[in-house]
Amino acid sequence: MAQAVTTPLSQNILRDGLILPRTPDPAAMVIFGASGDLTARKLMPALYNLALNRYLPSGFSVIGVADTALTEDEYRAHMEQAVQKFSRTQPVDRAVWQSLAEGISYVRMPFDDESGYGRLAAELDRLDRERGTAGNRVFYLATAPQFFSVIINRLGSSGIAKAGEGWKRVVVEKPFGNDLKSAQGLNQAIHSVFTEQQIFRIDHYLGKETVQNVLVFRFANGIFEPIWNRRYVDHIQITVAEDIGIERRGKYYESSGALRDIFQNHLLQLLSIAAMEAPPNFDADSVRDEKVKVLKSIHPIDVAKDVIRGQYGPGWVGGQQVPGYRQELNVSATSTTETFVAVRLKIDNWRWAETPFYLRTGKRLPSRASEIVIQFKNPPHLPFAKTAVEELTPNWLVMRIQPHEGASLKIAAKIPGPVMRLRTVNMDFFYGSSFMVESPDAYERLVLDCMLGDATLFAREDEVERAWGLVDRIEAGWASQSPPPYPNYAAGEWGPPEADALIEQDGRRWRRP
Amino acid sequence: MKQNHSELSARTFVDVHAIQEELDQVRWGLHDGAGSEAAQHAAAEARASVLNLIAVVGNEPELGEISSVLDRLSITNPSRTLILLAQHTREADKLEAEVSAQERTESGHRVSTERVILHAHGEPARHLASLAAPLLIPDLPVILWWPGRPQFDNPLFDDLCELADRLVVDTDEGFDDADLTRLLEVARRPKARASIGDLNWARLIAWRHVAAQFFDMPAMLRRLAQIHGVSVFHGRDGSTAQARLLGGWIRSRMATVGIDVPIEFRPDDSLEHGVRRFLIYTGGDEGPARFSMIRHRGGRLSTHIRLGDQDVAERTVRLESRAIEELLSIELTLPGHDVLFEQALDAALR
Repeated sequence: MAQAVTTPLSQNILRDGLILPRTPDPAAMVIFGASGDLTARKLMPALYNLALNRYLPSGFSVIGVADTALTEDEYRAHMEQAVQKFSRTQPVDRAVWQSLAEGISYVRMPFDDESGYGRLAAELDRLDRERGTAGNRVFYLATAPQFFSVIINRLGSSGIAKAGEGWKRVVVEKPFGNDLKSAQGLNQAIHSVFTEQQIFRIDHYLGKETVQNVLVFRFANGIFEPIWNRRYVDHIQITVAEDIGIERRGKYYESSGALRDIFQNHLLQLLSIAAMEAPPNFDADSVRDEKVKVLKSIHPIDVAKDVIRGQYGPGWVGGQQVPGYRQELNVSATSTTETFVAVRLKIDNWRWAETPFYLRTGKRLPSRASEIVIQFKNPPHLPFAKTAVEELTPNWLVMRIQPHEGASLKIAAKIPGPVMRLRTVNMDFFYGSSFMVESPDAYERLVLDCMLGDATLFAREDEVERAWGLVDRIEAGWASQSPPPYPNYAAGEWGPPEADALIEQDGRRWRRP
Repeated sequence: MKQNHSELSARTFVDVHAIQEELDQVRWGLHDGAGSEAAQHAAAEARASVLNLIAVVGNEPELGEISSVLDRLSITNPSRTLILLAQHTREADKLEAEVSAQERTESGHRVSTERVILHAHGEPARHLASLAAPLLIPDLPVILWWPGRPQFDNPLFDDLCELADRLVVDTDEGFDDADLTRLLEVARRPKARASIGDLNWARLIAWRHVAAQFFDMPAMLRRLAQIHGVSVFHGRDGSTAQARLLGGWIRSRMATVGIDVPIEFRPDDSLEHGVRRFLIYTGGDEGPARFSMIRHRGGRLSTHIRLGDQDVAERTVRLESRAIEELLSIELTLPGHDVLFEQALDAALR
């Protein structure tokens, strides 16, 4: 017979040796904006794939909250269609979906309706009783940003955010504010109900495998870190280029622009990751402390000299004729919203002093590419006759986030023959060639991390506010100038000519991704 | 998925230096047309290789089957592969080699692999390890995959184990208790270089994962300390190693905290091959509980928790029926000795 142990087990010994994440506690996820695009395209497919791969606990439940007239069955059917359309794994396993769908319910209410929160609380209680969710809640704000504060406020005033046992967490989608003041206001509103440890601000870029791989590349390989500094690096370029336009997001984009839409979050995240010091470990605060230090160290930007903005006009992208920004749906014919921004900045610390960082992002550029490019300094002298240092392309280390994730190193090699002639060649590593497995979607990783309480890949309050501070400075600079004569680049070009001049006046050039 | 496959060379050699030279030729695309721009480009590009893989096959028909598995495996594991076919016949000593390189374009990425098939008769068949060693890519791990039941008494087995960092077998392929015992001996040899991987153990990952999930919650973890029995239902056909390993696993895990768990094996003619149901019983102060996992057709596993006479949690998850190359792929990424596997094997044999 089994011998009973006198003391309880301190850990789950059946987990030993399993290279798989711990299973989160049973929980209810309340999705505000449950009938919206984000829920259909990203959240529900992510939840389905987590369930499929056994990452969700028994009893995991979802309450969809929206003001769309749907019955519970209709909502489930709507979500099933979404999963069938957008799941990265196909075909959808009906039995697994059914098992997940049993835990999906729907509460129809306007987000500011107090009585609706009473019904929501009753539904959560039911799940605790019937599905063992034990008071654990994730409140996922997948709504337009103007609803964030009111939902948080009602969650607080109704008592739902604090009721009973179990943990409570809130996930906030971007954009987190639209300037420093609004971000601070939103932080205050959320902090009136939740502590910082309960808040998970999503930037889905951080959930991408290849962004995390930049950290591994830097901090798990002994050969790069010693040369990752001002002594060996000439400059760093970070590009987040999109070939698409604004699609149907004209209304949002008019109030956002490239600076708020991409620079404030994705570009500055990539900058932080490329420039940060090695954290002592990979926990949430250690990593985020180092990222914030980078943002704190950015030298004040001279907007007139260091920032270029642009807006696309009609042109050709990928063999297709496309309209200009001002001709897009829900965009003013005299709009001065920027669809391109390039920024030159410096980081005032020992590692990077006087090393320029060039960041750019834009819509309707010739190709879709996200990459971090490290250009190393040229050798001080070439001993090979008839070959000038200037003739060589410098050593470039390129870390590609998308597409074709991987890294390449440009090096000089001798051209075969009796004469010493050098030529630049690329050493390419394709992430996909060595790990040709399908990566999980960023949302799968982030939703799971949130349920496990790991905030490493989420933005912290000070990080968000620092980033907005930088954006505000640029906006203030722009406000004091008249905008350039828009459109100033044609769709299918790499931004306005001034963006090239920005880097070329320093004797450098943008890398063509 | 677009796939290109080109065979750059297929010749017969008897000399290791000639094979090495041919391997260099095919690896760097220096064959016919070496002066072409494409060939120069290929030569300038680094190729991703993650391992050396040695597969031992018993006969020519098996060769085709194993080659197909390795073809599919190479998509996820660009590698140099040596396939050894040793035939201890009375034929005259003979050694043949075929060198080839495959290139595929998968989702826009080029994947390159090289393959050498070594076919030896007579005396050279006993010394294939000496031929394999110089053909391996330096500094990359060497995986020895021995499909079927290994010839534990064949000197070639020991020689190749000396060369390898990991020996991969499939205990589902007819392993009896004697084979499992020999396997454990190999794993526990003093200064054993090769760790052991078992595709059957990889098949159990999902079972272990779901069983562990039951006890991730603190309230359920308390019940694990009160475990008093386990039942493993399995098909009667073929090897029962999978059921033994699963039972051995939970027994060995619980032994680490001083709990001896009785395992009941329930072979059943009506059940298909392999583990079909896994039940964990707990009791004590927390009251009786049953944690059950049931495998269904169509690659699904349903899980149930019964506390007293009440069902409290049910769900259905995927239980992948993985192809051999997928199982191999899992094994190829595991580093070092798998102590848990060795302990499970040990417990399964007690």
